[in-house]
Amino acid sequence: MLDFFDILIRMKQQVKIRWQFGGVLLLALICGVIAYPQAVKFFPFLHDAVAKLHVNEGLDLQGGIHLEYKADVSQLDSSKVNDALSAAESVIERRVNAFGVGEPLVQLSQSGSEHRIIVELPGVKDIDQAKKMIKETPFLDFREQSDATEVDQQFTAENEKTKQQADAIFAMVKGGQDFATLASQYSQDPGSKEKGGDLDFAKQGTYVSAFDDVVFDKDFQTGTIWPELVESPYGWHIIKKTGEQGEGDDREVRVSHILFIKKSSALYPDLAWKTTGLSGKNLKNAYVDYRSQGVGSPQIALQFDDEGTQLFADITKRNIGKPVAIFLDNEIISQPTVQSEIVAGQAVITGNFTMQTANELVKRLNEGALPVPITLVGQQSVDASLGQDAFEKSLLAGIVGLGAVAVFMLVYYRLLGAVAVFALLLYTAMLLTFFKLSVFTPFAITVTLSGIAGFILSIGIAVDANVLIFERTREELSYGKGVHKAIQEGFRRAWPSIRDGHVSTLITTFVLAGLGTGFVKGFAIILALGVALSLFTAVVLVRITTMFMAGDWMERHPKLLVSPKKPLEE
Amino acid sequence: MLNIIQKRKYAYWFSGVLTVASIALIAWWGLVLGIDFKGGTLMEVQFSQDPEPQVSDVEQSLSALQLKSLTLQPTDGNSIMLRYLASDEDTNDQVLERLRTLDDGVVQLRTDFVGGSVSDQIKRNAGIGISLSVLAIALYIAWAFRRVSGVVTSWEYGVGAVIALAHDIIITLGLFAILGHFYSVEVGVPFIAALLTILGYSVNDTIVVYDRIRENLLRSTKKMSFEAIVNRSLNETLGRSINTSMTVIITLIAIVLYGGESIRYFGVALLAGVTFGTYSSIFIASALLVTWHTYKSHRHERQD
Repeated sequence: MLDFFDILIRMKQQVKIRWQFGGVLLLALICGVIAYPQAVKFFPFLHDAVAKLHVNEGLDLQGGIHLEYKADVSQLDSSKVNDALSAAESVIERRVNAFGVGEPLVQLSQSGSEHRIIVELPGVKDIDQAKKMIKETPFLDFREQSDATEVDQQFTAENEKTKQQADAIFAMVKGGQDFATLASQYSQDPGSKEKGGDLDFAKQGTYVSAFDDVVFDKDFQTGTIWPELVESPYGWHIIKKTGEQGEGDDREVRVSHILFIKKSSALYPDLAWKTTGLSGKNLKNAYVDYRSQGVGSPQIALQFDDEGTQLFADITKRNIGKPVAIFLDNEIISQPTVQSEIVAGQAVITGNFTMQTANELVKRLNEGALPVPITLVGQQSVDASLGQDAFEKSLLAGIVGLGAVAVFMLVYYRLLGAVAVFALLLYTAMLLTFFKLSVFTPFAITVTLSGIAGFILSIGIAVDANVLIFERTREELSYGKGVHKAIQEGFRRAWPSIRDGHVSTLITTFVLAGLGTGFVKGFAIILALGVALSLFTAVVLVRITTMFMAGDWMERHPKLLVSPKKPLEE
Repeated sequence: MLNIIQKRKYAYWFSGVLTVASIALIAWWGLVLGIDFKGGTLMEVQFSQDPEPQVSDVEQSLSALQLKSLTLQPTDGNSIMLRYLASDEDTNDQVLERLRTLDDGVVQLRTDFVGGSVSDQIKRNAGIGISLSVLAIALYIAWAFRRVSGVVTSWEYGVGAVIALAHDIIITLGLFAILGHFYSVEVGVPFIAALLTILGYSVNDTIVVYDRIRENLLRSTKKMSFEAIVNRSLNETLGRSINTSMTVIITLIAIVLYGGESIRYFGVALLAGVTFGTYSSIFIASALLVTWHTYKSHRHERQD
């Protein structure tokens, strides 16, 4: 009767183990396919679906840039700091989104009393351009024509100084100092400066008349310096004749000159504009004017705020019939002529916009300036090729590590070792599956180079649990216990040590993950995940698999199962 | 059965010499701190020309910028690693501009820079991390040995484990003082991460041996001496101590040999820590319990 129940319980247990092992195989199949889609290439539908899943690679593997900005909030009222920072965060977010890189990250962080904004741009190619895009705001302002005489008055004092310098250099030339040297040092003519002031051969009528008259004067001898400082609309010139060739209409003269620029409103039309106080900060809204679509290039419509409306009304009132210029980043983009006073606070810019540039400018104008000034305090950038190289190397290290551990386990622990290797492979597949699926959760795991180091280390730690179990099993066998019993004892008695060992490693990984950033965090999170996951594979999965294999053959061939151990002498 | 405890004198000498030498080297040479601790810039550039500009050419072209503590180090494949103390955008742009005059196809493979406030934060975090880990490990030991067994008290196990850990950490630091002195290997945040990982992993071996000692003490008959019990416990756990470490050491060797520049010295730190951690939990941690026990019983006898 007792035997009957015993057999019944055993049978029940066997059925349970079979079901569990079936579960293990199913898990292995699913994780294997997700981790390594190439394995099901012969089944294109499944392959294509699974191949879409990807592991989130960190900046150090796929290349990219990590920027840390300090936000200067010292000028802000303390109650407004948080609002300003989150406003800055969203402005930067929009700017980097416009940049169109993989998955940009913008986040605020605080270190002591210092506020930081961290920006990560994976896969970005042009680092400098990215940095510019983040920091710079388009500066739009309106300028009106200033009186030409008014501008020239501003220049008078400056020109006076230039004239004095010209006189001084002229004295040096006359004193016998080398003309070419002085020209390359002092000339303000960028074209001839590098050539010692040389202008090459030219025919009469090439230059402005004041200059031309002197150059082609019959009394000007080759090799001499014109005895006076020559004044032209461009400024003051010291002229040296260096050659002459040809006769009559073909006569060509070669001179060198040292130029001292005289500033004037005629020469610098940009300076003829003066600021009006109306700028991008007075904007309430900007939008692309779609009515103009198809009729030439798109226009940008501006709506000013109250102060801007008032300013604009004043400006248009005093400039009727005259042009008003719109400058973007100090470059003139449009200069419409005012027809009448505009009191509605609206303006239209017609520049050479395409639909895309118009949209982009509108977006940036609407964002306005960053609400807090920022300075770059930390940067990490990795070129994609370097990242690829690091990835390949660390992957090789992982494969070598996995292979070497597998060989060790097989040689040392035989069949049980093989089961451990199976569990190790399953662990690797599960971890990869975990990475790939985490992308769909809010806790997406990003695998960095240090994370791969953590993973490789976790391979070594993963089999620790198996080593503990198998060593205990060998010890029990050496005391003369039956194989089945010894395995069960091995699992049971090794458990406290396995638990303790994993806890101590987890403690430090938690500290590291909590405090560290970048390298440390990537390492700690994956090591922690690996240690926890491998606890499951090395204990639960190995146990189920071993139980499934268990049978009378084990008792007959214990040496096949695991290498024997001599008992310790008393 | 190996007479590990009986021959503890040799282990003490070996460890003593290594520890003292390590402390001396750390004091004498110090560690070469990375940019994450002292601030500064690390730039790796790759030249397009073959042969690439010589280090001396690069040094000369950068001399006008008067970069503080500039070091140049050629790396694989036409590349050069620059390190200097400045950490601002303008300086980096100027450096790159100068390099372009040598070779206009130069590519910046990597530019890391750490400003003063960031490195301060890193230092603070590293400090907090170390203290928290040490505290957590100490609490963990206290918890693991909450059930004590007569002869050895809870805090004696704790002190033994902590001394063994300190030994592992000091020797690893000493190794990096040597690597820093001869190969300018820098110590940065990854190194701290490696040290803390060593703390967590190595204490485990010690705990397992102590666990077995406690277990055997409870079962022991009066006939066996304390020394014999400890020695037996060591021998019983020897296989697993060595094998668990061996699997980790195998993977770490793979990191050191094949993992590439970026994680090589991180691997070296872990490898040194784990190796010495295994050694100390076998030869030092338990021997300390015996030494302390012998000292106590001698004193006890004299008092009697």
